[in-house]
Amino acid sequence: MTAALVLGALLAAACVVLVALPYLREPAASDDVLEEPGELERRQLELAEERDRALAALKELEHDHRAGKISDADYRQLVGPLRREAAEALRALEPRAQAPARVRSDV
Amino acid sequence: MPELGRAALVVTLGLALYAVVAGAYAARNRRRRLALSAQNALIGAFGSTLVASVVLLAALVRNDFSFVYAAAHTSRELPTGYTISAFWGGQEGSLLLWLLILTGYAALAVLLNRRSSRDLVAWVVPVLAGVAVFFSFLVVAVASPFATQVAPLDGRGLNPSLQNPYMMAHPPLLYLGYVGLTVPFAFAMGALLARRTDERWIVSTRRWTLVAWTALGVGQLLGAHWAYEEVGWGGYYAWDPVENAALMPWLAATAFLHSVMIQEKRGMLKVWNVLLVILAFGLSLFGTFLTRSGIVSSIHSFTQSSIGPWFLAFICLVVAGSLGLLFSRLPLLRTRSRLESLVSREATFLYNNLLLVALTLTILWGVAYPILHEAVYGEQRVVGQGYYNFFLRVFGLPLLLLMGIGPLVAWRRASLRGLAATFAWPFGVALAAGLVLLALGAGSSIPGLIAYTFSAFVLASIALEFVRGTRARRALAGGTWPRAFSELVGRNRRRYGGYVVHAAIVLLAIGVAGSSAYDTVREGQLARGGSLEVGDYRLTYVRLDERPAANATEVRAVLDVERGGSSVGTVEAGKNAYTAEQQVSNEVGIRSDLVTGEDLFVIAEQVNPDGTVYLRVFVKPLVNLIWLAGVVFLLGSLIALWPDAREQRRLALRYSRAGATAEP
Amino acid sequence: MIALSVAAALAVFLLYASIAGGGTPMIQPSELNGRASAVTLAGHVVTQPRGDSYGQGLRFELRDIKGGKTERVTVLYTGSVPDLFRKGRDIVVDGRLQNGVFVAERDSLITKCPSKYADHPSTSS
Repeated sequence: MTAALVLGALLAAACVVLVALPYLREPAASDDVLEEPGELERRQLELAEERDRALAALKELEHDHRAGKISDADYRQLVGPLRREAAEALRALEPRAQAPARVRSDV
Repeated sequence: MPELGRAALVVTLGLALYAVVAGAYAARNRRRRLALSAQNALIGAFGSTLVASVVLLAALVRNDFSFVYAAAHTSRELPTGYTISAFWGGQEGSLLLWLLILTGYAALAVLLNRRSSRDLVAWVVPVLAGVAVFFSFLVVAVASPFATQVAPLDGRGLNPSLQNPYMMAHPPLLYLGYVGLTVPFAFAMGALLARRTDERWIVSTRRWTLVAWTALGVGQLLGAHWAYEEVGWGGYYAWDPVENAALMPWLAATAFLHSVMIQEKRGMLKVWNVLLVILAFGLSLFGTFLTRSGIVSSIHSFTQSSIGPWFLAFICLVVAGSLGLLFSRLPLLRTRSRLESLVSREATFLYNNLLLVALTLTILWGVAYPILHEAVYGEQRVVGQGYYNFFLRVFGLPLLLLMGIGPLVAWRRASLRGLAATFAWPFGVALAAGLVLLALGAGSSIPGLIAYTFSAFVLASIALEFVRGTRARRALAGGTWPRAFSELVGRNRRRYGGYVVHAAIVLLAIGVAGSSAYDTVREGQLARGGSLEVGDYRLTYVRLDERPAANATEVRAVLDVERGGSSVGTVEAGKNAYTAEQQVSNEVGIRSDLVTGEDLFVIAEQVNPDGTVYLRVFVKPLVNLIWLAGVVFLLGSLIALWPDAREQRRLALRYSRAGATAEP
Repeated sequence: MIALSVAAALAVFLLYASIAGGGTPMIQPSELNGRASAVTLAGHVVTQPRGDSYGQGLRFELRDIKGGKTERVTVLYTGSVPDLFRKGRDIVVDGRLQNGVFVAERDSLITKCPSKYADHPSTSS
């Protein structure tokens, strides 16, 4: 009974210490602000996602074409718009970069 | 030490409450130290729940019957393995297990993501903690596993149908699945709360969903195998509400896993994905509610159950709250890309989603119908198995077909000319398989024949995918065929793991169709020396054995089995009489043919005092493919789950570039 | 597109509902009142079951599970008997009333309470 209560009290105390830890570690933090991405960074994140999406689509198209799932005619029809999208995404992300690097694709 | 258990749970409740309030405040007002403190509270909640669980486990193992829970679910005779599984044998223990897994997952999710998506995690913490508050409140105030009493001499023992190795693994796996769906839900809500509409919530929870979904799937198959071997009515799934309770979140999670790919590849379906994750989490709560509240048997038992009303209120709160949040964030979730063609990979994913959701909702309707009818008309009405079987065919067979079509259709816009070329092979295989099966007499069941033809089509298209991929890889990188194959799978784990899972689903379909559409059953009373013929089997009743076991008396009828005129061994079927629990259970005899996957399944329905037995015997073709499907399913999931270093690097690059991981 | 699919699913559903009807009623012995249509009967076994379920049939009496009503009905049952079936259990059985006896469909008996993994609300605490 008493042992159980003592253990319970110890557990509670340990948890209080754990919760207070960030304040114990930095009693007087110079910055207590939770950083979050600003408008620019969020826009960049979205652009990066778009770029990855376009590159992945190109990669998959290459894969399917090489595997014979997509005929040459279909490939030619589809690859143009995809390349354009990828290029646009890259350009939007890095305005100063020159022509987009050649897309590496591996199966 | 029941006091320690109770105290630990109170600490959990306190920490969870703190994490909700402090976490929400910190996320709203951007307080870094407070956000960290809330995260620590969530981690601490796991620690204190663990302490409570250890206390309960110790009481069960030490047969401490001053714990009401131990006395109600164990006895002195019960083997130690089953005293451990008694942990989840009753309501209070299962709730504690829910809480333990929830806090464990929450701690892990926070630790894994607190660096990479700091702004997101700040909002995920209060959501996770909110769910933990509900469950810890239940075990503290409503259904405490630490109620005490004056210890009786012996406990009441565990329900004999739970005294089985499957029952040691089946419930924890289901809970791992149910609870696992909380994490994607919390990240989706966290993203909406934080107004982050990028894909980080999907990227961080992809594996969680997959793990939860795998656990639910494997757990259900184990449950089906348990029903098949132990419950002994000759089937493995009966559309019982308790079974449907696990099937529905699994189906919703399946839909989610597929539609998430559309968002990743095309940036579409953002709202739909959030809806699906809400549906999956809501259904996993509803599943727990169904199995735990007693509402299945009647509204009357529901109002008498202690936790039912709480659960219902919580489910309503979660659904209303998350839908309201989603609605308020709709403007952020607009997509720019559109579906370009109805003949494209995206479109097949969309059809797959609609069918899966339709199937889920019809099952939900079947489960809820008796309850709703009773609430409105005062009289329960039940829908029979016919209802479920009808919809399984109507929605399930097209789904099966889509598994074969999807992988072969190009993204964005597939040309009909190209389609004809890609489908030539699988279509030919399916046609040939259908004709051969028809010649063999499979036409006795039209749905069965359709299922088999579709299965052949899917298997052929999956095989084609692997062959073409390997050939292309070898042409590109050279090397041997096996090397090209393993490189292909290793470099596209999610895609090819997915195909392996598809193959497992096909095996499942073949096994289900074989054992339900093409089975044979005979029954009859046999005296010693008498025999019974079923299909090409002949069973002869040799003798009746009676022997004592650890906590039961076993009675077995021993039967000689002949097949096609030659002896193939014996089968035993009978009953166990459990002493402590004063119950009798059927113990069926099963003889599996591992080459054809066929089972001879013998139930001794009645053992008479004069030594005669009444037998019911099934021949179930291909039923073992269902269990094989479980192994293949697990293999496929593991392939898809296995960490992909290149993908991790790519993601790290994406997020570091965008500044989302800014270090202090 | 989505609206179209929803409409299609609804159509299939209505088609089924119109063919198969809305399920069978699930009632208690006190609600039987001589009604002779096919029903699912849920009740509490009050007498020791007698007879052979694979011979002349098993006979036992049911009353309401809850509510204190005293009406009883005799059930005649053949076929498979679940492990947990005995006096004092709650059961569910399909069938119809014939000459004052509820004649059950073969193999339709299900025990209600602990038949499945702990789906009953705990009564111990």
